[in-house]
Amino acid sequence: MLFSSRSVVFTLIALLGAASGMPGAAGATTAVVLNSDDDSLSVIDSQNYKEISRTHVGRGPHHLIETRDGRTLIIAMSGSNELVLIDRASGVEKQRVTASDPYQIGFSPDGKWFVAASLRLDHIDIYDGQTYELVHRLPAVSMPSHIAFSPDSKTAFVTLQGTNGLVSIDLASGKVNWAVQVGRTPAGIITRPGGTLLVGVMGSDYVAEVDPATGGIIKKIVTGNGAHNFLLSPDGKRLYVSNRVAGTISVLNADTLEVENTLQAPGGPDDMALSPDGQQLWVTGRWRAWVNVIELASGSLKTVPVGRSPHGIFVY
Amino acid sequence: MFDAVQRIIEEIQGAVFETAIQPALFQLGLMDWSEDVFDGVEFALYGALAVALAYILFRPLELWRPVERWDERRAVRTDIVYTLIHRLGVVPAILFVVLAPLGAMIDSYSRFEGYIPPEIEQLVTPLFHHPFATFLVYMVVLDFGEYWRHRLQHRLPWWWALHSVHHDQRQMTLWSDDRNHILDDVLALIWSGTLAMLIGVPPGEYPLLLIGFRLVESLSHTNVQLGFGRIGSTLLVGPQFHRVHHAIEHAAAPYDRSRGCNFAVILPIWDVIFGTWRPVASYPRTGVATLAGPTIRCGYLRHQWEGFRRLFAALAHLVDRRRVDFVAAFPAK
Repeated sequence: MLFSSRSVVFTLIALLGAASGMPGAAGATTAVVLNSDDDSLSVIDSQNYKEISRTHVGRGPHHLIETRDGRTLIIAMSGSNELVLIDRASGVEKQRVTASDPYQIGFSPDGKWFVAASLRLDHIDIYDGQTYELVHRLPAVSMPSHIAFSPDSKTAFVTLQGTNGLVSIDLASGKVNWAVQVGRTPAGIITRPGGTLLVGVMGSDYVAEVDPATGGIIKKIVTGNGAHNFLLSPDGKRLYVSNRVAGTISVLNADTLEVENTLQAPGGPDDMALSPDGQQLWVTGRWRAWVNVIELASGSLKTVPVGRSPHGIFVY
Repeated sequence: MFDAVQRIIEEIQGAVFETAIQPALFQLGLMDWSEDVFDGVEFALYGALAVALAYILFRPLELWRPVERWDERRAVRTDIVYTLIHRLGVVPAILFVVLAPLGAMIDSYSRFEGYIPPEIEQLVTPLFHHPFATFLVYMVVLDFGEYWRHRLQHRLPWWWALHSVHHDQRQMTLWSDDRNHILDDVLALIWSGTLAMLIGVPPGEYPLLLIGFRLVESLSHTNVQLGFGRIGSTLLVGPQFHRVHHAIEHAAAPYDRSRGCNFAVILPIWDVIFGTWRPVASYPRTGVATLAGPTIRCGYLRHQWEGFRRLFAALAHLVDRRRVDFVAAFPAK
């Protein structure tokens, strides 16, 4: 595994990281947005809902996650074949790790495994979650997209957008448990607290509930055209579904999976994040170079212009 | 200025894609193509912008001091059709539907062999803070590749048969850059796309690099008396310099000893280095001496068919040297 010594400092993130701890800054929200076609990272401040910085970060940034201890943000750079690790408190880049076309990334719940899906190059990489050493590389035809894990951290589930598939992978052996057809162009996937899987069927208008043991479809929940991605509220009560073609967000009861509300989110809604107070839903508008900020109580909407093709978002 | 134009392009791209193209992809069951098509829309829009810019910037030059004036411009109209089809339709389609997946397949194979293409900013770290400088470095390397592709187009008989489609124009204008056989375009894209992959050009930037090339190439084909002087013609390919390359007598002195000169696409320095630089201060007639008549003064489809016929003749000659080559097979009438 190669580690570059390049030391890019995301100064504005650092400043904001410091500012958010200052007196009077309570309630302020900062959003970090990855502009995948711009190779940049935007920072938005909720004081005036404007982009306050845009920083070149490398090639093809698509998704970002935090480590389990919450200290580090990891940005997946599909174009420049690397992971960028940023210290969350200081905003300073810590490390770059070579990885093959990382598009979607995720840690298993126990942190033992780190999985990266290569949408463009049709493979799934399983890394050691501590050292980022590559353990297994699996061919995955085609377009492996979103990733979810079983609660026991033994299994990863990956949607295959190009072949309408869903694959279950044993993380220790790197072997495929099962592969099924789940619906036209499946995208987002999430493991429910109850244990079943939900898959956003982007080529249609529904979310499929899937049995993680067999891949069998249990039921379909109609949300909107282009059902794409998921976000579970921290209290586990609400499940948000972005509908990319419809330009809406469906708010589901996480227990019953009934649609309780539909919110407008134009521009090809994709990844979502909740503000720390849980009052706002921030949604990247993939096709319109903006971020939607939705007040959940009223459904009112603000749009904040950012770079081209905003994809991953992290709000704190 | 550039930012404002870029923002307008993005606005149009987003609006067109969200309101018209994405719903169509959804209905057709092609949502897995959405990101590629989104990029394709951008490429086509920038292509349209490049065509518009070429017309706005270079057409006044043709009206100002043309090298040649013609009463009848049918052959020029064919080149306009070429430009619209190739820049807005065929080339984007080949690029995004055929070559990008093919490139991804090769790239994917290399990953399983443990090879990850280097990124130039990882080798030259100061470039990381200067994306535009990186863009220029990619452009220089690709231009070097284009120089050698162009040399081969003239050197290999079967490739010259295809490339003669570009050279048989006797009314060369700003539109002539896209007058290429479709197979020649495919070969060009494979050539430069492979080089781009080897040197780590991000897939999303390759189309923008192509558009940068095309603007310079439109200028170099413009029908205008405009030279950059002896020093200038070592720095950038211009109309006078490239016209010498298109000279109808290009196989004869003083333009070249044997198989052509002034092959560079953007940077003439390659001609200087490799001995093909001919700073002749003249404006020769253009065309291929042995090709004339209806086969060069025809519409798009017939001209493409002519390209196939020349290729078949060249290949037949390659297989059996007793057969006439394509030039002899299609003598000027």
